[in-house]
Amino acid sequence: MNEEYDAIVLGTGLKECILSGMLSVSGKRVLHIDRNKYYGGESASITPLEDLFGKFKAPSPDESYGRGRDWNVDLIPKFLMANGLLVKLLIHTGVTRYLEFKSVEGSYVYKSGKISKVPIDQQEALSSDLMGLFEKRRFRSFLMWVQNMQEDDPKTWDGFDPFNNNMSALYNKFSLDKNTQDFTGHALALYRDDDYISQIAILTIRRIKLYSDSLARYGKSPYLYPMYGLGELPQGFARLSAIYGGTYMLDKPIDEIVIKDGKVVGVRSGDETAQCKQVFCDPTYVPDRVKKVGQVIRCICLMDHPIPSTSDALSTQIIIPQKQVGRNSDIYVSLVSHTHQVAAKGWFIAMVSTTVETKNPEVEIKPGLDLLGPIKQKFISISDYMVPVDDGLNSQIFISTSYDATTHFETTCLDVLDIFKRATGEEFDFNKVKHELGDEDQ
Amino acid sequence: MANRGTAQRPNGSTQGKICQFKLVLLGESAVGKSSLVLRFVKGQFHEYQESTIGAAFLTQTVCLDDTTVKFEIWDTAGQERYHSLAPMYYRGAQAAIVVYDITNQDTFSRAQTWVKELQRQASPSIVIALAGNKADLANKRVVEYDEAQTYADENGLLFMETSAKTAMNVNDIFLAIAKKLPKNEQSGSASTSGQGRRLVESDGQKAATGNCCK
Repeated sequence: MNEEYDAIVLGTGLKECILSGMLSVSGKRVLHIDRNKYYGGESASITPLEDLFGKFKAPSPDESYGRGRDWNVDLIPKFLMANGLLVKLLIHTGVTRYLEFKSVEGSYVYKSGKISKVPIDQQEALSSDLMGLFEKRRFRSFLMWVQNMQEDDPKTWDGFDPFNNNMSALYNKFSLDKNTQDFTGHALALYRDDDYISQIAILTIRRIKLYSDSLARYGKSPYLYPMYGLGELPQGFARLSAIYGGTYMLDKPIDEIVIKDGKVVGVRSGDETAQCKQVFCDPTYVPDRVKKVGQVIRCICLMDHPIPSTSDALSTQIIIPQKQVGRNSDIYVSLVSHTHQVAAKGWFIAMVSTTVETKNPEVEIKPGLDLLGPIKQKFISISDYMVPVDDGLNSQIFISTSYDATTHFETTCLDVLDIFKRATGEEFDFNKVKHELGDEDQ
Repeated sequence: MANRGTAQRPNGSTQGKICQFKLVLLGESAVGKSSLVLRFVKGQFHEYQESTIGAAFLTQTVCLDDTTVKFEIWDTAGQERYHSLAPMYYRGAQAAIVVYDITNQDTFSRAQTWVKELQRQASPSIVIALAGNKADLANKRVVEYDEAQTYADENGLLFMETSAKTAMNVNDIFLAIAKKLPKNEQSGSASTSGQGRRLVESDGQKAATGNCCK
C-alpha cells in the first residue's frame, strides 16, 4: 500500500465505483479501498439472508425462507430508467457486459386509497380510471403535445414557450386538474415534491420524455432491474476500474486522511500510508467534512406474495404522491422477487421509502405498508442524508452525497458526473474506453 | 465491434448447435492466468506480460463433433491480489480454470484454496480444471505432477500441466472442459443464465451519446 497514486477512492458504493472506473479509464493511477469486506457500501445487496437478519439484530430466519444464499437484499431501493443516465454509462463503458436486467412489470400510482396503472400513451390515457372522460381528452392532448414538441424547433411548440413559462402555465394551457397534475408531476416526471410547478416547463417536459422514451425501449414499464440485485452495479464498475489498472483492497480499515497545508496528500491504514493527489469518498469516511440535511426512511419487507391489485406482478413500482396522503414528499414502494434472483423461490421483497418529515417516521410510511398485504418480516432503517460542506477544490477531497429517496439513479449519476468534472476540470470522455481491450460480446 | 474472439477454430467444421459458457480464471498473481487466455484466444505469448490490464473479457469458440462451444472468458483483472474478487465474478460461471505455477509451491496451495472458494461460492455443477502452468520450466519444478494429479482426482477436477509459452496443452485444456460441459437446451443460452437480458445500444442512444453526460 505504501505507494503513490493519482487518486484514492474510499468506499465501494455505486457512486465511488463509477468514479473509480471513470478515473482509471482516464489514465489515472487509482487505489480503491473499502473498510468492509464486501463491495457496495451503503448500496450493497446483502447476502446470505442470515447476514441481513444479523445486520438488523433479528433472530436467524427459519427454514421457510429457503436457502440463505438465494437472497440478495438491497439496502437502498432504486430502479434504472431504461433510457436514463446510468444505462448510458453502463453501455458506453462496456460494464453492461457483466450484467443482465429485467424490465419492471408494472408502474402504479396511488389515488384516493387505491392504486391505478400509470397511463403513458394515448390509449392508456383513454382507458385509465384515474380521470373522468373530459379530463382524459385534455390529458391526451397534453401528452401528444409533449411527445411532438422538439426543443430546437419552436414551430412544434404550438405557441407555448417552455423556456420562458413555468409548468403551472403549461398545465393551464391544457386545463389539467389538480389530480392529473399530481400524477403527471410525481408518477411521470418523478418529482418528489411540488417545487417543479413554479419552475420553467422544459425541465418537466424533459423528464416526461425520459419516462416515455424509457418505456418505449422495453415496454411494460420504463424501469429496469439487474439480476442478483443492485449490488451488482458497483461490482461491475469496480471491475471496469480494475481492468484499467485500478488496485482493489477490501476489508482495509482507514485510520487517517493525511492533510498537508490544507490539501490531501495520502491515506493511512495502520502504519501504511499511500500517497495521493486526490481522494474521492462517501460521507461515512469524512464525518467532519459533511453535514446532515435530512433523513430517509426505508423499510425492507419480506413477503410470500405479490402486492395486491397489481395483477400478480413479480416486480412493481408504486408512487404515492405527497398530496394524496397530506405530505410534502412522495412515498415510494418498490417490489422485486425470486424472478430477479434476489429471493428464494416464492418470495418477494418490497421496500417502502420516503424523505423523513416528522419525529415519527415509521408512521409516515404506513400508507405504503398498508398496500402490501401481510408482511412476514420488516426491517426499518433511518439514514441521514449527508452532503459535503464544500466543493473539495481546496482540500482535493471530493465527497459524494448520500443516496436520496428518489426511485431511480438519475440524481446518483448527476452527482458522479459533477464530482468528476469538479475534480478533473473536464467532462468524462467516453472515447477513452477502448473497447478492443475486451472483445465485444456477440 | 471487433469480433476477433468468435473466429472459428480449425478443429471442426460442422455447424451444429452453439452453446455459450462463462469460464472464470483463478489463481495466485503471476502464475500465468492472462497468458493462458492470450495463448488460447489470440495465439500470442509475451515473456514480460504486465500485470493484468485489459484482458478482461474475451471470447473463443471450440468446435466439438456437433456442437460449437463458445467460451466467455473472465480474467480476474488483478482483483484477486488483495482478496477483493467480487461475487459477480463467480456468478453464473459454468467452468473455471484454477492455475498454479509448477515452480512455486505456494501457488499450488493457493490453488487449493481457490478450489474450495469455488465449491463454496459457485454453482454446484461447475466444471473445474486445474492447470499446472509454466511446464516449460521443468528444471525448476517443485510441484510434482503426481501430487497435483492425486489432488485433482480426489476433488473431481480435470488436470493438465500447461505452458502458455510453448502452447503445450493450452487448447487441450479448454477442449477437455468443453467436452465435459453439459450441452443441453438450457446451457445454450448461457449468456443469459439468469434469464435476464443484456442491454445493448439502441439507435436512439447512439444519437444521444454526444450530450448524455453534460
